[in-house]
Amino acid sequence: MSTVGIIANPASGKDIRRLVAHASVFDNNEKINILQRVLLALDAMGVKRVAIMPDYYGLGERAIDGVKLASLRVDVIDSPMTSTEGDSTVAAARLRELGAACIIVLGGDGTNRVVAKGCGSTPIVPISTGTNNVFPVMVEGTVAGMAAGLLALGAVDAENTTYQAKRLEVYIDQELADIALVDLVTSSDLFIGTRAIWDPSHIREIVLAQAVPGRIGLSAVGSCIQAVGAQHDTGMYLEIGTGGTQVLAPLGPGLVTRIAVREHHLMAVGDEVRLKSEAGTIALDGERQIEIYPRQTVSVRLTNNGPRVVDIGRCMAEATRRGVFQRLGAEPIADSR
Amino acid sequence: MAELTQDQLLWIYDRMRLIREFENRASALFAAGKLPGFVHLYAGEEAIGVGIMANLTDRDFITSTHRGHGHCIAKGVEVNGMMAELYGKATGSCKGKGGSMHIADVDKGMLGANGIVGAGGPLACGPGLMAKVKGTDQVTICFFGDGAAEQGTMHESMNLASIWKLPVVFVCENNGYAESTPVHYHSASKDIADRATAYNMPGFTVNGTDVFAVYEAAHEAVARARRGEGPTLLEAKGFRYFGHFEGDPLSYRTEEEIAKNKSNDPIDQFRRRVIDRELLSAATLDEIDARSKAAIDAAVEFAEASPYPELSELMTDVYVSYR
Repeated sequence: MSTVGIIANPASGKDIRRLVAHASVFDNNEKINILQRVLLALDAMGVKRVAIMPDYYGLGERAIDGVKLASLRVDVIDSPMTSTEGDSTVAAARLRELGAACIIVLGGDGTNRVVAKGCGSTPIVPISTGTNNVFPVMVEGTVAGMAAGLLALGAVDAENTTYQAKRLEVYIDQELADIALVDLVTSSDLFIGTRAIWDPSHIREIVLAQAVPGRIGLSAVGSCIQAVGAQHDTGMYLEIGTGGTQVLAPLGPGLVTRIAVREHHLMAVGDEVRLKSEAGTIALDGERQIEIYPRQTVSVRLTNNGPRVVDIGRCMAEATRRGVFQRLGAEPIADSR
Repeated sequence: MAELTQDQLLWIYDRMRLIREFENRASALFAAGKLPGFVHLYAGEEAIGVGIMANLTDRDFITSTHRGHGHCIAKGVEVNGMMAELYGKATGSCKGKGGSMHIADVDKGMLGANGIVGAGGPLACGPGLMAKVKGTDQVTICFFGDGAAEQGTMHESMNLASIWKLPVVFVCENNGYAESTPVHYHSASKDIADRATAYNMPGFTVNGTDVFAVYEAAHEAVARARRGEGPTLLEAKGFRYFGHFEGDPLSYRTEEEIAKNKSNDPIDQFRRRVIDRELLSAATLDEIDARSKAAIDAAVEFAEASPYPELSELMTDVYVSYR
């Protein structure tokens, strides 16, 4: 019987866009509620073991504390708690080593990015609890828990119910520096500061692994020009500035603005683009992460090296087709006639 | 991030260095028995006061805490007067009658350090209301600690500021300990900024060791207040090098924690980053180091050479006469 891993980020859904835009706060108590619904679903499915990343808020402990489980054993694993994003990467690697069938991730694009750096080929089930939620999906925790349970039980075929995500690899002076799952943006901001990117006048170039219409954030600049699906073999490059087109895009919660795009083109998987931007910062999946010094060269490659992602809808549909839900947990029902 | 000019970068480093030098010297002077009363030192938290104050002018106000030296220096209060105040001398900012915990300079908008934990909140609502009634764009910053966050006065102040939409930015300097009590022991919410939702104002937690992050967050909160959109709660998480007060044995802090703090030193971080970015040279920063040291040497000399207040001055300025 496989273990299901869980990584819940206590810092997701709380960045400065509560102050500069109108983003709602993703309260940690709500994350605990979601975790409880995930655990109850896994328990009902008959999964026997869950392993959760520790965190400073104690999301895992608090979730366990408030829920009655029949036979599910839930452990908070021994993993470093430095209250930095590296915790999620290390925890993802530990859960992979533990042989987790999949890892449920509560966070936004940024959280999934750091989990992707550690999870290897273990599929992830991304539940959206962030500010930018292009990569994860808005899904009821109960259903996400059921989908994770189906994989852990081997009740559905992992190959058919997961997909290989793309990723953007950023090279600084030819060395792989970091990755992004959705968007990479160069900004004229000289420092990482409060991390988020919200002022369009600071954006220089955008590279996208996906541009799905209807999603919010920096990928919307691309998706309002041309759609690029999460499972298509293309990405997109855009240079911001006058001389080309203009687009009205939802850059953040409550922040719908026109932005000038000088040039844009699609990229195929394997393509690499050398960025023009000089000193400034690079934002990965919505957060400034890298400060670029004078004379450094930056290039970005679109690859298929992203994590395997569970398609929750496909998972549930396949289980229905296979009659899994009619068999799971079945006990003879007394005939009252 | 709003662009920081060369002059602003120099000012930021100058203020952080001057605070560090002042506090290190105050610690040594206290240990040598030269300072009457208590001192609570700000070393380690420089990025918070300086990052916030980089967004203010002398027309804006601050209310401070018992750990107020850094706020004073960042707000432009003269170090000679501050040092003399610590010595209890007649040339001190408050004529030697306030001491470390009551330094004020109204001309600089520094409305006073405060020995009462959580007392700054109601005080900050005063100039906030004044600015609103008079229709000025002045902003008031209310500094308070993680311990003060649990005081009723702070809850009342944030509620009042929100219902009246006052131009006040509440800055919780969370250095991890209320005296010796760790935050997790006294706070039901792990991030104090989370409480902002209950007051119907934006809240944000920022890295208080990164002056650029503090500057940027404060820039947005101050601009929001100036636009008349009401208060904000900023929580800056950092650390203090010294104990709660001088003489605190710091038995609650581990070696590991001390090492981690040192590796996150706000001044070292700033230095490294501006040199790497080729924004300021090491030689320029070294000059500021030397100047800060000289300024504090001079402040100590000034304080030691100054007279104590005359006995006849005992009751002067102690109570305000409203007649």
